[in-house]
Amino acid sequence: MNVQDLYAISPLIVLVTWATLLILVDVYIIRDRNGGTPILAALGLLVAMGFAIAQTGQQYTAFNGMAVVDGFAIFLQVLFLGSGLVGIALAYNYLQRMGIERSEYYILLLYSISGMMLMAIAADLIVVFLALELLSIPLYVLAGFGRPKVEPEEAALKYFLLGAFAGGFVVYGIALAFGATATTSLAGIVQAVNAGSANLTLLSIGAALILIGLGFKVAAVPFHMWTPDVYQGAPSAVTAFMSVGAKAGGFAALLRVFVSALPELAADLSPVLWVLAALTMILGNVVAIAQGNIKRLLAYSSIAHAGYILMALVVFGNTQVSSDAVAAALFYLVAYAVTSFGAWAVVIALEKAEQKGLALDDYAGLGRKYPGLAAAMAVFMLSFTGVPPTLGFVGKLYLFRTVLEGGFIWLAVIGVLTSLVSAYYYLRIVVIMYMRDGDPQVHAEPWLRLTAGVTAVATVVLSLYAGPLFAWASQAVLKLF
Amino acid sequence: MTALQIIFLITAVITLGAAAMVVITRNLVHAALWLIMTFFGISVLYVLLNAGFLAVAQVVIYIGAISILMIFAIMLTRRVQQDFGPQTNAAWPWALVIAAALFGGLIWIFSGWGNFFTQAPVMGERADPLRQLGMALVSPEQYVIPFEVASVMLTAALIGAIMVAWERK
Repeated sequence: MNVQDLYAISPLIVLVTWATLLILVDVYIIRDRNGGTPILAALGLLVAMGFAIAQTGQQYTAFNGMAVVDGFAIFLQVLFLGSGLVGIALAYNYLQRMGIERSEYYILLLYSISGMMLMAIAADLIVVFLALELLSIPLYVLAGFGRPKVEPEEAALKYFLLGAFAGGFVVYGIALAFGATATTSLAGIVQAVNAGSANLTLLSIGAALILIGLGFKVAAVPFHMWTPDVYQGAPSAVTAFMSVGAKAGGFAALLRVFVSALPELAADLSPVLWVLAALTMILGNVVAIAQGNIKRLLAYSSIAHAGYILMALVVFGNTQVSSDAVAAALFYLVAYAVTSFGAWAVVIALEKAEQKGLALDDYAGLGRKYPGLAAAMAVFMLSFTGVPPTLGFVGKLYLFRTVLEGGFIWLAVIGVLTSLVSAYYYLRIVVIMYMRDGDPQVHAEPWLRLTAGVTAVATVVLSLYAGPLFAWASQAVLKLF
Repeated sequence: MTALQIIFLITAVITLGAAAMVVITRNLVHAALWLIMTFFGISVLYVLLNAGFLAVAQVVIYIGAISILMIFAIMLTRRVQQDFGPQTNAAWPWALVIAAALFGGLIWIFSGWGNFFTQAPVMGERADPLRQLGMALVSPEQYVIPFEVASVMLTAALIGAIMVAWERK
């Protein structure tokens, strides 16, 4: 072992150590169980982010091919750490208000993020699986954080059962991939395929099973059934973090595994992904129209956005386009993360105990009574729809461009049409906020205001200067060999 | 009497005594701890038989995983660790008869098997899968990352389990 190996996983080491020490600090030093823990947790995320950013521009594999440092890994680690910071900001007052303040929230959050970061640097299927479990297990508990009420328990149990089920698919797929290639390392799989020693049929089946398992994580149709119930039942701060972090973690694994290790299987798997992406976009957007609860609406919206990102994966076999596709997917993940966190911040501001304040009608009159919050929400809805000048628009532009470059015209057409459909339910919220009279009750604590404000400004400003961000994402090409 | 035989006798007494205590003790947590003692004695027997891999598997799986799981299950699900009712019921003489018959039957079957009284050949020293397994798990060139991450994952799962099982006051 050399120092470089440890340096490669330094952000992860920092975060895991920090989380583990925080347990002790929380119990023995802080004691009052609500003061310093969130701040210390956020500090740990910032330190880990510093270590991640310090790696910018480097490219090497560590631990004999178990982990890899490249632009992709660094980009995603920064995204995960950032979403952890927002997750803490959203939860800080919300947990107190809902009477479920417990400092384990922040510790489990840190563990979940370390799983996501491991996912970003994983270059071996065993590590991918362990990362998947490490990111999921704390989320199962966080989903049920509102215990002992019925809805959080239902959410936690559903998420746990389907998550465990999905984990089984992933393990089975990994086992078949190992059977087909005699290795679990992504680089080794490519070598085996190129040398002709791999059993391609078996490898395809294994890859399909991995796709199913990760499809559950990113909530792609037809593996999305858990999403609305879990998103509705889990505490909103957890839902916000889950809808961004878990989804990005799943896509990190999908992109890494399929683009870097399995391009040879594109002939078999691209059509499958095509159908998955199309179904996910159509079902997510169409069913969202019928929702009257904002959390369920955002759940279906998150399904639909998984469909858009899946479009980037369809071109994974085309080596000329696939690096662009990865960049477009990463850019869209950022756009989705910023917009989604903003929207959830507004939802949390309006939410009241006992699942009240979540109907779309509760947003009536927001435009008159709280113009700032309503304007922010309008920006997020426009970004979700893909209307300029917002990040969502730029993200969709890049995505559609790579899909067209890959030659999948009809998929792009479906993407555009479903975006038009989505305008109906996103803009309906804007209409309700501004056109109807009502008396909304808002608990806009400072951290919520800050999150909503910063994400709203970022949604607009970053879209005007999208070039540099996309350039950074473009450096995030997957390099394994 | 060789040193090996003395060690065997001591281990056997401790193992059987601990096994009896598992049944006799009234405190569930103590029972689980005695069970760990029994498992440990069995792993010593494996070592005496030169079956290093089985010994380590015994320690890692039975002591490390299953017993700890039991203790957690007891501590998280029961408020009272102690049982006060009688430990036997009316049918205990019958249970004794059946258990004795089963034991006698097993002895009878084994004594009919010719190899029971012959000493098995000692395994070769060179075949040492344990060393290879151990090295593979902690070698930076092989599986140290999955190995360490698994422990982090279990820590997170443990905290989660306590969160889920804890009764809120």
